[in-house]
Amino acid sequence: MRKIKDYLPWIIYFIFFIGLLIINPGPHYIHLAARIIIYGLYAVAFNLIYGTTGLVSFGHALFYGIGAYVTGMLVKASTPELFYLYILIGAFGAAFISFFIGLLTLRLTGIYFTMLTLAFAQLVWGLTFKLYHFTGGDDGIQAIAKPTLLAGGVTKYYLFSFVVVTISIYILWRIKRSPFGSVLSGIRQNPQRITFLGLNVYKNQLKAFIISAFFAGIAGGLYAGLDGSIHPDMLHWPTSGNAILMATIGGMSTFFGPVVGAGILTGLEEIVGKYTEYWSFYIGIVVLIVVLLFPNGVLGIKKFTGSKNIEEKEKEVVCNTGN
Amino acid sequence: MKRLLSFLLIVAILVPCSVSYASETIKIGALYTMTGRGGQYGKDSEAAIKIALDEVHKKGLPGGAKLEVIITDDKNPQYAVSVAKRYITDEKCKFLFGIISSAIGLAVTEVSKEHKVIFIGTDHAATDLTANKFQKYYFRSSNNTFQSMMAGAMYLKDELKGWKKIAYIGPDYAYGRDQWMELKWALDKLGVQYEVVGEYWPKLYEPDYTSYITAIMKAAPDVLVNGMWGGDTVAFIKQAKPYGLFNKMKYFHVDAGGNYEVFAALGADMPEGLILSARHHNNWPDTPENREYVQKFYKATGRYPTYAAQGAYVGIHMIAEAIRKVGNANDPDALVKALEGMKIKCPEDPPGFTSYIDPQTHQIVQVQAIGTTVKNDKFPPAKYMLGNFKVYPAEKLWPNFEYIEYITKVKGK
Repeated sequence: MRKIKDYLPWIIYFIFFIGLLIINPGPHYIHLAARIIIYGLYAVAFNLIYGTTGLVSFGHALFYGIGAYVTGMLVKASTPELFYLYILIGAFGAAFISFFIGLLTLRLTGIYFTMLTLAFAQLVWGLTFKLYHFTGGDDGIQAIAKPTLLAGGVTKYYLFSFVVVTISIYILWRIKRSPFGSVLSGIRQNPQRITFLGLNVYKNQLKAFIISAFFAGIAGGLYAGLDGSIHPDMLHWPTSGNAILMATIGGMSTFFGPVVGAGILTGLEEIVGKYTEYWSFYIGIVVLIVVLLFPNGVLGIKKFTGSKNIEEKEKEVVCNTGN
Repeated sequence: MKRLLSFLLIVAILVPCSVSYASETIKIGALYTMTGRGGQYGKDSEAAIKIALDEVHKKGLPGGAKLEVIITDDKNPQYAVSVAKRYITDEKCKFLFGIISSAIGLAVTEVSKEHKVIFIGTDHAATDLTANKFQKYYFRSSNNTFQSMMAGAMYLKDELKGWKKIAYIGPDYAYGRDQWMELKWALDKLGVQYEVVGEYWPKLYEPDYTSYITAIMKAAPDVLVNGMWGGDTVAFIKQAKPYGLFNKMKYFHVDAGGNYEVFAALGADMPEGLILSARHHNNWPDTPENREYVQKFYKATGRYPTYAAQGAYVGIHMIAEAIRKVGNANDPDALVKALEGMKIKCPEDPPGFTSYIDPQTHQIVQVQAIGTTVKNDKFPPAKYMLGNFKVYPAEKLWPNFEYIEYITKVKGK
């Protein structure tokens, strides 16, 4: 019984995203679902740092953007047929950069960590914006072709994204449930105790930071192929803020919460943007409602009614107290 | 059974409705910046679209068809691309329309190409779209920056005598960089000898230009070229005036410097004798068409239009004219043919000239009038407007295939 309960979110995930293909609501909604699933991966990857490890990074757009730019620029410079490889290179690029940024930023805790990650991300955003002849500046890069297999309608690309995202999310899920994942949760709940257990908080945080950046890079690479155009906005702070919003709205203490958050935020943007130019006002209201009424996020609602488990009891421990 | 009955009932109600709905509605999916610094351009474009739609419907379209324009705030390129795709696949729009930012224009032209849907760009000015990034479903209803800069180079050659030293200040992004590249290219082509004594790249929306102003004063150019737009221009002029910058050098700002919003915001603070231009002037040409257009806009909104409005106004008329020629809006390739070479009377056309769409680049070809600031309070709250206009013939400004070759080499396809 416990097993089925554990896999229930996966079942819903498959029913929703595969079911969409069967219903086939038209190319626009398939495109919307592709955006949701890619943002979903970005948010789940971010949540490994945020919800699991308890570090509020405000610079995750950097890794998402690196994934997108490396993929896009390599496709433009060579052939779209190697697109799959370039996504991987982009993800490794993001992981590589995150190693150095992590080395420096993880020495700090709390708001100082947050501000430093923001500073690094803004630095790279500024470079992307200014290196006009290299990155295309604010014009970005357009006409990033898809490989022959994925060219044509959006459904093929959606299916490809679904497979890549599902594999990535599955790996992240396994990581969260592994002993390493438990260490990360331990770091969030009580870093001193982790140190007393003989484990290195800093090293484990760095590992989580790199893994998170790697998968954020994959999400960025996937997005570059979806629309065929990339832009410095992908590296700008609102993109980092979106990751926090998605995880918070969906439920940072749940594994699938960020995917739900990505769905809500993207869906809202789509629906509200259709009717009013003051879309950000309405999104702000929704965020306020969620934060005030459902502090555990949408997927955390059930926790109000059920009895608290150990994890929830320990959730009150202040996030990211460091060591 | 109940469900079947209710379904049949709905069908029974809807079928006669659709049959009785004889005249077709042709949807145009527009994207504009409606909030923030560029919001004024979006609002002006929206007002101009309404005026143009009234005129189009008064004249009529084949089969009594009506145009419907949907406007969405474009936010950023990623969002704009997804809205453009929604317009095409979900809303069944026959045209994409508008866009203030060139970055967004460049992203959306790819959507237009992919889906073979005509995209009329009304305000973004990056030359790329009708040059190295040209695709057959894209058309532009306002001048690109090259047209302004080519006219500017001619002005610098013919109207200003005895200058040699030139400096440039412009926002540090594609729009600012491109203008300077284009002006230098045009000056070189015209054989003008000059010496660049300074290049300054403030950020877009920079609030304080003091350090740049003092550096410019120190470099002491004969001509200062500015490539800013909107509030940045207003801030720069306000801050530079107390330093006496405008008495020491010629101020030259011909793409967006003469936009009405600058005159309205500066009022009596606008210095006299600045060399400015824009893609439309409220007081030039003094033709019945321009007067009527400006007055209609004023009547509808209670303010005078910025140049963005003319692009949107002309864009709607271009679409209507193409539909009239083809007879419907269902064949994009036939519409492309109809638009290529189309002559279209614009408010900014002087007597004896009608703007037209260049069939090879799909860029509207218009005259460019450059003037200097003079006292004129006929368009309040502005206290100054442009006068002493020098008019540069449209065909000398575009198309310029030599430049297209150059930009393709520099920026790639």
